[in-house]
Amino acid sequence: MRSANRGRWGAALAFAATLLSAGAAGAKPAEPYIPEAMPPGFRVEISELDGPVFADAKGRTLYRWPYRTMRNGVTGDSKGQSNCADTPSTESAGLMSPYPGGLLLPEQEKRPSCQQMWPPAFAADSDKAVGKWSVVHRRDGRLQWAYDGAVLYTSVRDRRPGDVLGGDSYRHQGDAPAVREPIQPRPDVPPGLAVSTTLRGRLLQTARGLSVYAFDRDTPARSACDAACEQDFVPVQAPAAARARGDWSIFTRESGERQWAFRGKPLYRYAADLGVRSVAGSDVQGWRNVYTQAAPPPPAEFRIQDTPSGQVLADARGRTLYNYTCGDDAPDQLSCEYPADTQVYRLAMCGGGSAERCARNFPYVEAAKDARGQSRLWSVVEIDPATGHFSAKDQPGALHVWAYRERPIYTFAGDAEPGEVNADGLGEFQSEREGFRAFWWRDDFFNR
Amino acid sequence: MNRFHRSVLLAISAALAGAGASAADGAAPPENTIAYVITNASWALQATPEMSECPHGLNDGVREQFKLLFPDVAGGKRTLVDTQLRRQVESYHPTAAPDALPFLEGEGPVAPGLDLDGVEGPEDFTSPEGARGVDNQLDRVLGCIANYRAPDGPIRFFEDEMVLRENYNRIIVQLTGVDSLVDDPAVDVMIFRGRDKVLVDAGGLKALPGGTQRIDTRWGSRYIRHTRGRIEKGVLSTEPVDLLYPWDAFYMPTDQYMWGARFRLTLTPEGAEGLMAGYTDIETWYMHMLRNWSAHYQSYGKSSGPAIYKAMRRLADARPDPATGANSAISSALAAKFAEVRVLPFTGAEQAAIAAAKPGVPYRGMPAPRPAEEEMAETHGSAPTTTTAALPGNP
Repeated sequence: MRSANRGRWGAALAFAATLLSAGAAGAKPAEPYIPEAMPPGFRVEISELDGPVFADAKGRTLYRWPYRTMRNGVTGDSKGQSNCADTPSTESAGLMSPYPGGLLLPEQEKRPSCQQMWPPAFAADSDKAVGKWSVVHRRDGRLQWAYDGAVLYTSVRDRRPGDVLGGDSYRHQGDAPAVREPIQPRPDVPPGLAVSTTLRGRLLQTARGLSVYAFDRDTPARSACDAACEQDFVPVQAPAAARARGDWSIFTRESGERQWAFRGKPLYRYAADLGVRSVAGSDVQGWRNVYTQAAPPPPAEFRIQDTPSGQVLADARGRTLYNYTCGDDAPDQLSCEYPADTQVYRLAMCGGGSAERCARNFPYVEAAKDARGQSRLWSVVEIDPATGHFSAKDQPGALHVWAYRERPIYTFAGDAEPGEVNADGLGEFQSEREGFRAFWWRDDFFNR
Repeated sequence: MNRFHRSVLLAISAALAGAGASAADGAAPPENTIAYVITNASWALQATPEMSECPHGLNDGVREQFKLLFPDVAGGKRTLVDTQLRRQVESYHPTAAPDALPFLEGEGPVAPGLDLDGVEGPEDFTSPEGARGVDNQLDRVLGCIANYRAPDGPIRFFEDEMVLRENYNRIIVQLTGVDSLVDDPAVDVMIFRGRDKVLVDAGGLKALPGGTQRIDTRWGSRYIRHTRGRIEKGVLSTEPVDLLYPWDAFYMPTDQYMWGARFRLTLTPEGAEGLMAGYTDIETWYMHMLRNWSAHYQSYGKSSGPAIYKAMRRLADARPDPATGANSAISSALAAKFAEVRVLPFTGAEQAAIAAAKPGVPYRGMPAPRPAEEEMAETHGSAPTTTTAALPGNP
């Protein structure tokens, strides 16, 4: 095992290299997307994490609530119909095994309705369908915008254009709640390529999920990857009919092979990548992953820490950082992970119902008093440790803590040494449903 | 051709060249070295078809216990906090406090395992082969839980399957200084994690000998351990070593920890099979279970986290806590199979990493544990008295 100092420097260097690959500081190109017809006033906002998102005339991000099959039933919106009610849910739905439905939900006196959290994107009588956008009749007689058949909402969490605090475009796997997703224009990438959201940015990959790479020594006019190199880094071929457009160009190799280039860099995939989203090729000197849009970097005091499964974000002492995810088992599947949401679930998980034990088991990652987030993605929030809610202004005892997407960040005091991830997946359904998840910067084993 | 590809070809050539000189007759393996990669593992439990070790039947799981504790009374309304969340608290913050729910231990005189302490005690078992003094109290904990029983307990099935499927679990045992696979009084044993998929047949489920592996010093240095062993009549017995080993069961980077782990494996040139036995660290075992198998999965085969934790604490037989005297580890055995594998020669950097490797440590439990008194008060009211209150189903 490396010495502590070597590990620290190694992590810092890896971090710097990755940020370089995502785009140099001060030059942060946005993800190219395919423009399409929109209702009057509607627009595309460039969000920090998710890239381009559709927004209404006020710049509010638009979301859909996809129909989702759960363990014991389904919920979400079917095509052209809103199931987001205007009265608060009172009982659990029993959609998730093994607990039954019909249990009285916590903090009912404070529980909002689905529509309070997700105001419908109402349309006016004069609004007309355009392109993929349509106007549907709600059961209450009002009109609501829909995109590709999915009725649309805004989120009360979003305050500024470009905010995407109500949902995200991460992959939410099997047993996650029926989450809301921002609707987005299609990334402008050639056929055979795709983009996925990662902690580091919008990762360019093949349609089969294999990461795409660029070589530092390549230029728009010349490739430094010779025939031997091509055994490891395979050019991403461009078909004969492909034409350059926008950030995309065609690079012709000495062999005559046509290769896609992005922003002047020929693209490759790594032959030894063991699975989808692997970034192992970036271990080879001079090779970097390609991002259509870099995510804002984490706070400078964080570091990258090796673990038995890859790399996580860690605090300055190497302790793994975690966030808390939660969706309740009500028909409306409301979030219970945000500081303004009920904290009953989190307090049960981290402290057996005790806020004091929670704070000892899962301490907040406190920021220096003068620390300010350099982005919306990584911010500093004020938390009342006794409740877990946002604190009132100038509230005595409030904690100044780092947050990701305005959700507080934690360490786990049960991680005795740097690189331990003992609380990753601690929760229901490997914490897809509820619980703590490590901030995976790179996962070499589980493709997260 | 890069180093990896060249090395793979060299190793395959070496494997093919050595295949003709079988070590089954006592010959030394090529270069006096042989390695085995794990392909199957499950907790060694006595599980007869007639279930004679479970005379009272099998245990209830999360779902059954929920119904027992919180019956759906007509006209009554149960709150999520007092029912579901209460059980989740008891699962994520377990205590050793006795509860009112029945728990059925594995019974009978027979269980697989090894004599770990050299003493034949009243709680010890006799192995199916007739060896006495077997220490395997984990058999009592898991022996009557459907999830863990052979042949098809759901958790047993998935955990076993993931050993082969997931690279994270690629435990390799490499023997060096081997003069004979039949009899050798002293061999060096190195345990580490490999990085590559296991060679399998066309069906994808049967591991084959002759594959290659790289050592994982990048992510897996905490799993590197050394010990010594001897081979007698084709059976390897190793000296005890405290061992952190990777065991992802459901796509979670989780580990297990065994104090004083020792292998007892029947060796052939193509593979190895037998037991890895020692004292399993309870907090590490339980955290592994929670992270891989939350309540839904526990319900597959009727297990209950809180019940298992209490039983493990009650039956723990090693590693007493200096402060409380309570044991923190439980005697146990894993039944494991291995396939012969060629490990690529270590590079200089890998050798340096091996020399510098710092062994991983067990998980030590919640830093702010929930007091047992708190659970007792919730479970029994103000006057907790007994472990077997009058709930239906208690034997």
